[in-house]
Amino acid sequence: MYEAVHAHPDGQSTVARLAKTAADYGFEGVVVRNTPNARPAYDPDEIRDEYGVDVVEGVEIRTDDPQEASGAVGNHRPDETIVAVAGGSTAMNRFAVENDKVDVLARPMADDGDVNHVVAKAALENGVRLEFDLSRVLADHGGRRVRVLQSLRKLYEIVDHYDAPYVVSATPTTHLEFRAPRELTALGEQIGLPADFIEDGLAEWRNLAERNRHIQSESFIEPGVERGRYEEEH
Amino acid sequence: MKHLPKHLRPRWRYLAVAIESWPDADIDRRAFQRELWYAGQNLLGDPGSAAADLTVVRFAFGDGTGHALVKVRRGETEPARAALSCIDEIDGSPVGIRVCGISGTIRAAEENYLGRGRQDLEERNVVFGNEERVAVVRDGDGSADVRLADESFAGATDLDYDLA
Repeated sequence: MYEAVHAHPDGQSTVARLAKTAADYGFEGVVVRNTPNARPAYDPDEIRDEYGVDVVEGVEIRTDDPQEASGAVGNHRPDETIVAVAGGSTAMNRFAVENDKVDVLARPMADDGDVNHVVAKAALENGVRLEFDLSRVLADHGGRRVRVLQSLRKLYEIVDHYDAPYVVSATPTTHLEFRAPRELTALGEQIGLPADFIEDGLAEWRNLAERNRHIQSESFIEPGVERGRYEEEH
Repeated sequence: MKHLPKHLRPRWRYLAVAIESWPDADIDRRAFQRELWYAGQNLLGDPGSAAADLTVVRFAFGDGTGHALVKVRRGETEPARAALSCIDEIDGSPVGIRVCGISGTIRAAEENYLGRGRQDLEERNVVFGNEERVAVVRDGDGSADVRLADESFAGATDLDYDLA
């Protein structure tokens, strides 16, 4: 299971500290999803060797303008393993799910964002994962949390019905905001998201990272095209 | 009042909880208990928190790390876990909370999960992000909290800084 994090300078802890905490809490890896203008300086291989957790390089694009987002997705796609686009408005949600270069639509229900059957079908078609962000559930309480829970439940019903791809994260910005997978599944049970749904969502980050690493590796030629064993260099 | 016969006494489970915060945090047992009951009530409601109990029976905290034992009715440990995970700050200090293990007796929980001794803290001058800073370094495990210019902290490890 992986956790998607905002590292220093986006958050308050460095990638190394977040990775170390992830290892202590029983995660297998972290996805670094800083915004493009707050890139952290880190060496993924060094951290991987030191703490034994995978470090996935990613980016989260935050803007209100689909055109700007489109440019940013094009810029970051070749370098980053995971490209997420922050939702939060109808225009951005539609942009993200209709673009197969995007891996994750982050926080689709935040602010003015909403998800309906059209968005879910487009996400399914383009393989864009809809994110269930539990950070507001962990930090808020009272009326604001009630609204967050309502939106998560709505998203769950739609995702469940269309079998749309999704990811789950608690999106920590410091090592103190980490919560272990068992705590997150227990929380999920309380708020109406089944335990295996949460576990699959946390594990989906890993599948996504593996798929994209394979596509970006040199051995990958094109979808459906593979080097056969009969091919020999002359 | 005469105490209950054994078969009528409730069965308890004890959750061993590790607590972590910034080095300047000051958290006492009453504050932790208050936040835990708030979290329980907010997430599980009155019937849920009554069922879970959530009494703090052991508590220790100092220098940014600590531990607690939380008494929970048997069968309610998962809701209790969920309530614990919703504690995000205590008296204004953000806290990290993790359930290390569950036991049927206080003694077993203490022996199995709270065995580790206190870590010593040390202040060191370090170079972090091209600036000289003071870091509170935890002995032995490599984590360090670097004090920034605005008195807040940045969480780091020995991979992130050089000793000045």
